[in-house]
Amino acid sequence: MDSQRTLNLKTEVSARPAVHRKKKKASSTAAEWVKKIVLLMASAVTAFPFLWMILSALKTKEEIMDVSAFFPQNPQWQNFTEVIFQSPIVRYIGNSLYVSVITVAIQLVTGAMITYAIVFMHFRGRKALFAIIMGTYMLPTAATYIPSYIILANMNLLNTYTGLIISSAVSIFGIFLLRQAFMQVPTGLIEAARIDGAGHWKTLWKIVMPMTKSSFITFGLMSFITCYNNYMWPSLITDDTRLSLVSQGLRQFFIEGGAYGTNWSLVMAGSAVIVIPLLVLFAFTQKWFINGIGGDTGMKG
Amino acid sequence: MAEIELKHVSKIYEGGAAAVRDFSLDIHDREFVIFVGPSGCGKSTTLRMIAGLEDITEGELYVDGEYMNDVESCDRDMAMVFQNYALYPHMTVYENIAYSMKLKKVPKEERRKKVLETAKLLGIEELLDRKPKELSGGQKQRVAMGRAIVRRPKAFLMDEPLSNLDAKLRNQMRTEIRNLHKNLDTTFIYVTHDQTEAMTLGTKIVVMKDGVMQQVDTPSQLYDYPVNMFVAGFIGTPQMNFLEADCIINDGEVKLATRLGIIVPDKGKGDMLLRKGYTGKKVVVGIRPEDLYDDETMLSRFPDATVHTKVEVYEMLGDKCCLYCEKNSEKLTASVKSDTKARRGDEIAFAMDLSKMHIFDKDTQMAIVH
Repeated sequence: MDSQRTLNLKTEVSARPAVHRKKKKASSTAAEWVKKIVLLMASAVTAFPFLWMILSALKTKEEIMDVSAFFPQNPQWQNFTEVIFQSPIVRYIGNSLYVSVITVAIQLVTGAMITYAIVFMHFRGRKALFAIIMGTYMLPTAATYIPSYIILANMNLLNTYTGLIISSAVSIFGIFLLRQAFMQVPTGLIEAARIDGAGHWKTLWKIVMPMTKSSFITFGLMSFITCYNNYMWPSLITDDTRLSLVSQGLRQFFIEGGAYGTNWSLVMAGSAVIVIPLLVLFAFTQKWFINGIGGDTGMKG
Repeated sequence: MAEIELKHVSKIYEGGAAAVRDFSLDIHDREFVIFVGPSGCGKSTTLRMIAGLEDITEGELYVDGEYMNDVESCDRDMAMVFQNYALYPHMTVYENIAYSMKLKKVPKEERRKKVLETAKLLGIEELLDRKPKELSGGQKQRVAMGRAIVRRPKAFLMDEPLSNLDAKLRNQMRTEIRNLHKNLDTTFIYVTHDQTEAMTLGTKIVVMKDGVMQQVDTPSQLYDYPVNMFVAGFIGTPQMNFLEADCIINDGEVKLATRLGIIVPDKGKGDMLLRKGYTGKKVVVGIRPEDLYDDETMLSRFPDATVHTKVEVYEMLGDKCCLYCEKNSEKLTASVKSDTKARRGDEIAFAMDLSKMHIFDKDTQMAIVH
């Protein structure tokens, strides 16, 4: 009798967690589905304009204004060839890539140097300096246009890439992003590098940078996209069409006919083409958008 | 190889708090100097000032006669081992060890040779391709040492390098560090809060408290002739006993009346107390637990230096016994032979080895006579 009771007890005990587990599994699959549906909807909303752009690029001028047809009847692939070979769009893409790459490279170096000083060097007024830098972030960009324009004019740098590049040689956003990462680097490592005989320059690029690589990449990518898409400031300081960046170029060549004369399918094809470099970039670097300093820091916790 | 000289060095933080005050010390070539003291005593700060990681607020630092206050730490040619190792996580063990030589532009071949030599010395040859996160605490510690050794620097600075290791590994590494010092013929400066490490490793020990240097001496001198009650209590385990006593004259003899009994110091100590005018005043008698005896021979040998108390805790340590006693609210710890018959609750008499007795001024806490 007694032994049977213990046996019963045992089965009961072992059975209970199993039931529990099943329940948990069921509820978690439901949650999974909800999650998937929400994500699917969000993705659809995000992807729709892009899809529409591609589809519109393949439509004829008439089809594009006809809301009854979602898909083009005869895909007009020649829209793409026309845009690529008969418009200066490739040149604009080249211009944009050139300016963006140089700007980003300069921003990475200046950002890293300022951030290193703010985070790791001890000097009077360090906190005030950081406060001032962050303060300028609050300033609306438009408010800086006129003074910046005057400065560039005085330096004879209007209508040049040099002017365009040096006017965005420092990115406050980048400093902020790098600072968050640098602060995760243990001070002990900086001290160890200094003791090992590394100067500040070496410490920054050989110790700090490799440890905060993901932030550098994230910053570089975001900055690259901003530069590449930049419209307002470049169109203010350059009026030579040969120097135009993609956004400006797109506007000049496809919208200049006025709202009625615009060939929208070509505009869409042009837009699709200029996004290609960014898409390629994304394809290779999307994992870096998930930022953070990971893994072992070399210091015992 | 370096002669390091600190002249009235102070570290005062912006708020006015002083971490180190008026620290003067000559460190000779090939010395093994230990900075020891409780946490917050300024020992690490002093080391970091020597390394150049902290600014010196006041005073001067000279290395081989050269003024170093304003020299950047990267140009001081000193190696440092950090408490938390501070290995570069993105480099392999090999790269970690070789990094300082790479900075100095040592040719690759020579670099390789030196890293292998060092790795062999520390027994970490098979770890060279690993990253720090794949190492155990003891292995990281060795790599950190390797990184310092490979440079053949002017001086080795070590900031509590063993405190993150378990007891067994710590003993082992202690021996290895001592051997290293012997082999490398370089100045070592070592910070620890562990007095055992200090006593076993150092050729010169600097005891610090609240940013102030208390005493600089060899281990045996510190142990036998502590300058004040702090040093006396800090060096040695279990800690030295301190018994309050009235210094009186009775039958023409100087006697010390403690709450555990009257002690008659030997002639030399008695005369010293008399000469310095301590009669009628309060003093503190210091006696180490291992200088107390409960066996008959010693009790009969020192009949004038017997204290009576009661055992509260009996601790058997194998080779010896620790007796924690208390009577008349005066505590006393004795470390006696393991064959003692005393047990918890026993009334007990201890004979003091009078030659090992220290007497301190109660107010200033400074030693009067040893």
